[in-house]
Amino acid sequence: MQTLKGTKLAIFFGLFPALLIYLGIAIVPIGLSLYYSVMNWNGIGSMTFVGIDNYVQILSNSTFWLSVKNNVIIMVTGLIGQLPLGLLLAILLNRGLKGSGFFRTIGFMPVVISSVMVSLIWGMIYNTEYGMLNNLLGFIGLEGWQQNWLGDVKWSMLSISIAYIWQNCGLYMVIFLAALQNIPDEVNEAAELDGATGFKRTMRITIPMIRSTIMVCVVYSISNSFRVFDLIQILTGGGPAHQTEVMTIYMYNSAFMNMRYGYGSAVSILILLFSLVVITLINRLAGEKDA
Amino acid sequence: MKKKSGLFQLFAYTFLSLFAIMNIVPLFWMVVNSFKKEQEYAANPFSLPTDFQFSNYVEAWKVANMDVYFFNSILVTLVSLIVTVLLGALAAYFLSRFQFKLRGLTYSLFLLGMLVPIHATLIPIFLIMQKLHLIDTYFSLILPYTAFHLSLTVFILEGFMRGFPKDLEESGVVDGAGIYRIFWSIILPITRPALATVIILNFIYNWNEYLFALVLITSSELKTLPLGLANFVGIETASLTLQMAALTIALIPIIIFYLLLQKQLVAGMTAGAVKG
Repeated sequence: MQTLKGTKLAIFFGLFPALLIYLGIAIVPIGLSLYYSVMNWNGIGSMTFVGIDNYVQILSNSTFWLSVKNNVIIMVTGLIGQLPLGLLLAILLNRGLKGSGFFRTIGFMPVVISSVMVSLIWGMIYNTEYGMLNNLLGFIGLEGWQQNWLGDVKWSMLSISIAYIWQNCGLYMVIFLAALQNIPDEVNEAAELDGATGFKRTMRITIPMIRSTIMVCVVYSISNSFRVFDLIQILTGGGPAHQTEVMTIYMYNSAFMNMRYGYGSAVSILILLFSLVVITLINRLAGEKDA
Repeated sequence: MKKKSGLFQLFAYTFLSLFAIMNIVPLFWMVVNSFKKEQEYAANPFSLPTDFQFSNYVEAWKVANMDVYFFNSILVTLVSLIVTVLLGALAAYFLSRFQFKLRGLTYSLFLLGMLVPIHATLIPIFLIMQKLHLIDTYFSLILPYTAFHLSLTVFILEGFMRGFPKDLEESGVVDGAGIYRIFWSIILPITRPALATVIILNFIYNWNEYLFALVLITSSELKTLPLGLANFVGIETASLTLQMAALTIALIPIIIFYLLLQKQLVAGMTAGAVKG
């Protein structure tokens, strides 16, 4: 193809529009975030350089650490709630049972619905007076179990975590299922001949075979846990009293509610750093096991 | 492989059914109650509606400005989708079929976008849009939607186009077709399966987006469906059945879309992960 005339120019014009929009809107802003993060600015007045002041303030703010804690809860929910459940479902669906297609279709449905819709629906389920959950508990005579699911500090993070599992479990289910279906039949047949059946085969053969997919899902699940926003913003707005706030909400509030753009940018840089550190750590740990 | 113990089947079906019920019940409960009068719902939230209140739907459609939100969502979703797929396909074509000095760097740059959380860019994007006087315009959504979905689009299309045999373009070159002509008449048509996946993915992502809309759109005439719905439910707290009707209206098209196109949608969403 290099023989074509004017190739270089054609390549330039072909890539330029995509690169321009992409760099301008997705990449340059990361640099700008870094720049704003060392500034004090309310968006109207003048910007003043404050060095690492914003970071120092954030790291000594107890509400911020509360949001970090909640992010950890969401992360753990993903890792021990969504992934094993998704894997188990995928293994069951991969056994060629009748109706597998139906269960897969239903299982993936919440992934497709917007997180706003998921949050609004779960908001109605958890509604103290009119919600499905409390109604159901009353209906079967367990009035004593009724709670203010989202408004009570004891329950709010748990309630959010359940909605979060509901929303994303199906995604991991189909990812694992696709990986399982990629395992060649010969492997399973060979395992069968060697006497590895059922549970044993699953643990010894199947799961190790899809190890790389499991790792991808672990990383994916962690990075997603740092991005959670819609679900919590709509269910509780971070309340009661910041008890369900996560870092993205803390950032949103700092920048767009309190008009502290520099401070908010510093939070967003920390979100980026935290997620990179955790993901690198996980990769390291997984790599060491291999050796 | 053929023989399966009855005990295993019993466990599998019980577990799968419980899971399916957990997924269906919240939606079913909402749809059923959206047909009730408010008093009827309050009296018994688990009964089936005695007479169907389609008036809930008429009212929800009006009170919630659903026509406006649907229109905005369709417009923003489609325009971003067309721009993303066109520019992404063009970029993927040059990245997959040509050798040039900055090829590797450009490709890595595009992939980088899949790692970047949009939250790290939200504040600068808001400020850029403000400076360009684009806040509260369709453009303020179309630009970020396009930018952030170019990564996945380029990734999927590049992988697909790279798989074509090397001499594919030769007949075009012999016929004297230019580079863009080859792209349009030879490459694009055979990329159709991957294009379908990318279009469906972009549609879903754009259609469901909330955070950018929340930050960049303030006037209610420009709100997209997720933003409008969130707002409506926040304000219209008096009638739960009305809220349910509004949510059902928004739910039905996406469920139909999913049921019709689930194969490509699932394939697209799992593509990156399984390849690793």
